[in-house]
Amino acid sequence: MSAIIENNQLPFSTKFLQFYKDRTLLAILLSLFAVMFIYGIFFTENYLTITNFKAIIRDAALYGIMAIGLTFVTLSGNFFLLSLKETASICGVTFAMGMATGFGSPDLAGNFLVSLLAALAVGVVSGVIQGYFVGMGGNPIVVTLGGAGILYGIGAWWSDNLVINFTRPHDAEWLGTGSFLGLPSITWSFILIAIAAEIVLRHTNFGRKVYLVGANKAAGKATGHENFSMAIIVFTICSVCCAFVAVAFVAQMDSAQSNYFSAEFGSSGDMTILVIATVMVGGNSIMGGYGSTLRTSLGAIFIAMVDNMMVLQGFNSGPRIVGVGLMIVFSIIVFGLFAKGSRAQE
Amino acid sequence: MSTNPILKITNVSRTFGAIQALKEANFEINEGEIMGLVGENGAGKSTLVKIISGFDPGFKGSYQINNKEVKFETPSQAEESGIAIAQQELSLIPNMSVAENIFLTGAKVKKFATLNTLAKMARPYLDQVGLTEVDPTTRINLLSVGEQHLVEVARLISREAKILILDEPTAALGEAESRRILEMVERLAANGKSIIYVSHRLDEIFKITKRITILRDGVSQGIQETKDIDVNKLVEIMLGRELANMFPSKADHISDDPKLEVKELWPDGVLEPVSFSAFKGEILGLSGQLGSGAGEVLASIAGALQSRSGSLTLNGETFLPKSPSHAIKKKIAYCSSDRKKDGLFLGRPIFENLTSPALGAISKYGFNFGSSEDNYSKNLAKEFLIDVKRMHDESGLLSGGNQQKVALGKWLSIKPDVLLVNEPTRGVDVGAKSEIYQRMRELAARGITIIFASTDIQEITYLPDRVITFYRGMMIDEHRLEKIKTPLILKEITDPFNETNL
Repeated sequence: MSAIIENNQLPFSTKFLQFYKDRTLLAILLSLFAVMFIYGIFFTENYLTITNFKAIIRDAALYGIMAIGLTFVTLSGNFFLLSLKETASICGVTFAMGMATGFGSPDLAGNFLVSLLAALAVGVVSGVIQGYFVGMGGNPIVVTLGGAGILYGIGAWWSDNLVINFTRPHDAEWLGTGSFLGLPSITWSFILIAIAAEIVLRHTNFGRKVYLVGANKAAGKATGHENFSMAIIVFTICSVCCAFVAVAFVAQMDSAQSNYFSAEFGSSGDMTILVIATVMVGGNSIMGGYGSTLRTSLGAIFIAMVDNMMVLQGFNSGPRIVGVGLMIVFSIIVFGLFAKGSRAQE
Repeated sequence: MSTNPILKITNVSRTFGAIQALKEANFEINEGEIMGLVGENGAGKSTLVKIISGFDPGFKGSYQINNKEVKFETPSQAEESGIAIAQQELSLIPNMSVAENIFLTGAKVKKFATLNTLAKMARPYLDQVGLTEVDPTTRINLLSVGEQHLVEVARLISREAKILILDEPTAALGEAESRRILEMVERLAANGKSIIYVSHRLDEIFKITKRITILRDGVSQGIQETKDIDVNKLVEIMLGRELANMFPSKADHISDDPKLEVKELWPDGVLEPVSFSAFKGEILGLSGQLGSGAGEVLASIAGALQSRSGSLTLNGETFLPKSPSHAIKKKIAYCSSDRKKDGLFLGRPIFENLTSPALGAISKYGFNFGSSEDNYSKNLAKEFLIDVKRMHDESGLLSGGNQQKVALGKWLSIKPDVLLVNEPTRGVDVGAKSEIYQRMRELAARGITIIFASTDIQEITYLPDRVITFYRGMMIDEHRLEKIKTPLILKEITDPFNETNL
């Protein structure tokens, strides 16, 4: 028996409160940024230098791009793609194979476009297959764990567990180590991908469907939005993001090995954990339906800042991985405390 | 009625932030009495029930048991004083046996008890609630929902509860199962238990209670003797005004222009293929208890349930929907019976819910920049009397009645030719019910064919122009307009073949 109010305009204060309520987590994250930043300025040497900031956004870009891909999976209620680093691994090997050998035809050796397309194609195929099984009703954790084993195994088998080298100069340098207007190419890629992802989520029907299906799969099916096609698309987006990061990383290293993303990557070791941490720290709901890629991007920069500071303070990789683990736990606690009020209660 | 009340609540109030859920509520119950507790959604019923059962210690006012002031901090303290509550959502463990569920807390059970010992101990309690034929070693999930409710009550009795609170025990049950619950309630009261019976179903309230407490906007409206008032009076007290006519008048005549023809449809749960037609602009009711097949037929027309055979003919096209999205493309909308499960996106804003089936209509080339969606959803909201100011609230924050309006209203966005509704008003208060009925009638008058399934006998008698009855997976009969009579329908959906008299 709610009365209809003809006045469509909300009072400003209501709008502001609504805005703030929706963004409690964002506000918390931003204040944490400020704390980190001030701490860095006063207590860490070499913190406030341009070189250091470039290092931070470069690190953030690598796992940030993968995390943006993973955000689509998480928002759509399909939990996580646990084969992140294995997908990157096989795509990296594919790319290096193309650059080094041209897949057996010497004419193509070193051809950047062919190698890139081959790596992306591997990403698409693995994403579609895993998405298909999840869409058919498979548990995403089990399906993608299985996928992880298979993808890693094929990459290691194909490359004989060897490091595949290709020498400089090569056509992929611009992506690996090049920069444009003072920022590394990979950072530009991160910015462009982040903007594109945010537009897709906010302003397209596909983006809306991601949220709706993530909020309630059964209601999604009843309104004509099935998780089957959704799972295939989001897993493919995520896998392609992995492939792209792998290509950029391999181009930077001039070589690839199937273990690169387990041990050598970045500074905090295991890439899958790092990327999942990024999505979590951004404050996206694990159950789906709530969050954004903007949060993920901020999460990536936040983790990179913390990690960078720990490096400058002289911590080795052990404590830094502990740091990432703590951030996951912390974000779950914060999310549990603050998201409850805004989530629907029966 | 000169006995002293064993439970008495006077001048209780409770505030949550700025919202006053209860103010000046009074309540009492005598030994061996069945007290009805009624009120609209949001009138404070559940708050009062929570206070009585010890879930909510933060209230102001006096709470006496046997003339002694009490203060419960937790539900278990209330239980020690003999107060137990059976919630609407059952708290049984589905894959454990009946006996194990009854003695779940382990009180009064020896350290090493076999299932047989438990079964023997459970027997008397099961007999008391009328489950004489149920073997205590059966797993809970093999029982019907109604039987599960009875087990839940048996569990409460096993803990020597003297005052039982039953919160909407029949909300999810069909007619026959509801009757079993009512019989049990009367038997327990005869054995000296006091029962607080909370329900939206006014016919039940009138059937079994001696006195009724009515809540309106958090204020108790005095205790009424059941024999002194009638339904209209009760509803008037509940709403604070007269409910002119809950049901809109039926159509003058039924058009003979078939809109939707259902041929040989045969979903799971239905015994034999079903064929019928629905005419343009009519409201067709499918009547039957849970498991009668009425709901299944509806779901399979919508593509939500697979049918083994058959076809639909709509607008000259013959097809069998394979999925909800297929049916939606053919302009068939389906509002399911469980809005929380597959009707609403509870965590998403109302406007997203309203436009969810018709994203194509609010976007250009797949892009959506808000303004057309805004207008679109606001128009839908106005049509269904949903508060336009709340469009950006999460739909889970709405009351049951408003949630149902959103669940139903979102289907107007696809401009349906056929609107299927399963249980249009389950868990909805009287006021919202009447609004929903009015809207359904208006939509039918606009030419939309509406088919609904319901277990609510009032609804099935007064709302539709035509009724088809179902019993145990079979189509029994069809009635039109003034030939729709409650006793006849009741007979056909509970005992069409005179089996009970054999």
